[in-house]
Amino acid sequence: MTVILTVCVLYTLLGGLRAVIGTDFVQTVIIVLGVAFIAWLTIDKVGFEAIHFNLMEERPELLNLLFPAAIMFLFNNLFFGVGEIFHSNVWWSRAFAFGRSVGFRAYLLAGLLWLPIPIVAGFVALATPALGINVPVADMVGPLVAAEILGLTGAIVVFIVVFAALASSLDSLLAATSDLVTRDIYRGHIRKRASDHEQFRATKVIVVLLGLVTWAAASYRGELPVIGSLAEVLYFTGAFVASAIWPVVAGLYWRRTNPTGAGLSMVAGTTLGLISYFTIGFYVAALVGAAVSLVVLVLSTWLAPRDFDWRVLAEAEPRSDAPVTRGAQ
Amino acid sequence: MMISAEALGAVVVVATAIATLAPFLLIALFIRDWKRGSLW
Repeated sequence: MTVILTVCVLYTLLGGLRAVIGTDFVQTVIIVLGVAFIAWLTIDKVGFEAIHFNLMEERPELLNLLFPAAIMFLFNNLFFGVGEIFHSNVWWSRAFAFGRSVGFRAYLLAGLLWLPIPIVAGFVALATPALGINVPVADMVGPLVAAEILGLTGAIVVFIVVFAALASSLDSLLAATSDLVTRDIYRGHIRKRASDHEQFRATKVIVVLLGLVTWAAASYRGELPVIGSLAEVLYFTGAFVASAIWPVVAGLYWRRTNPTGAGLSMVAGTTLGLISYFTIGFYVAALVGAAVSLVVLVLSTWLAPRDFDWRVLAEAEPRSDAPVTRGAQ
Repeated sequence: MMISAEALGAVVVVATAIATLAPFLLIALFIRDWKRGSLW
């Protein structure tokens, strides 16, 4: 973890957003190829008949296309994924940094090409009964299957894929969060008249500080009350990210939406999403969060509509000397 | 409604084939945009 973090901090510091996007490209190619490689080997070594037979014997509900929890989890994950894009500065900072025609094509292509990955990764997980593997936690499915089929080679492939995935997420978050802190806290509140050079230097310091905070958090060995695995982190945060989808959409396209209603919809969506996470199950947090925030948003807009003037936002046009693009140099 | 072994195989083979080809498509597009000078 220390090695991955140090490498990520170094190239984010030296290359900024451009280095992060460039390495993300390489890491994504490695991840997709690695997952496809494991899937082809699973097909070759185990086969569909054996996988299907063992599932029918041991876990038949996993082959049920109308399994209620699975359908809820499907939509839950869709909302979680969309919520990730809408709420996170990882994607917003890139959208601002891209040329006008590049962003749309890049996001559309990335979304389409990522579509088969959950199917492929899910299939690898379905092979566990046929291989006689006992999976202790959900995060371990991929490594266990790869190690069972390929031995040491499989373990190395999984290590490379996991390394690439971790580095890809880490560097993106370092660049996006440092950009956010520089813009909203440093330039927004601490030094409103900071020069380009001062902002550039502040971004570097913030990247290092974020790296240290991440290292301290990753080094914590105690147990957290809610979060036990990476999968649980994703399920748990689903309530937070999915409740941001509709308020962001309305904030961008619906001039009658009021800010209080938008804020309340996020709070209500998150709260009920978390309640459903604990009372119903992990597979509904994002679903409930998105549904509740939509209802509150529409109701609040209907009860207290306003007429927003889009020209107010004219000052927020991305500047050519903004920290994002400066950091990308 | 249980999925058959044949249907499962068809879905997985198609998905895995797309996942296998995707990186090569991405690299081809990268090279094309690099040459055009329109990467960003």
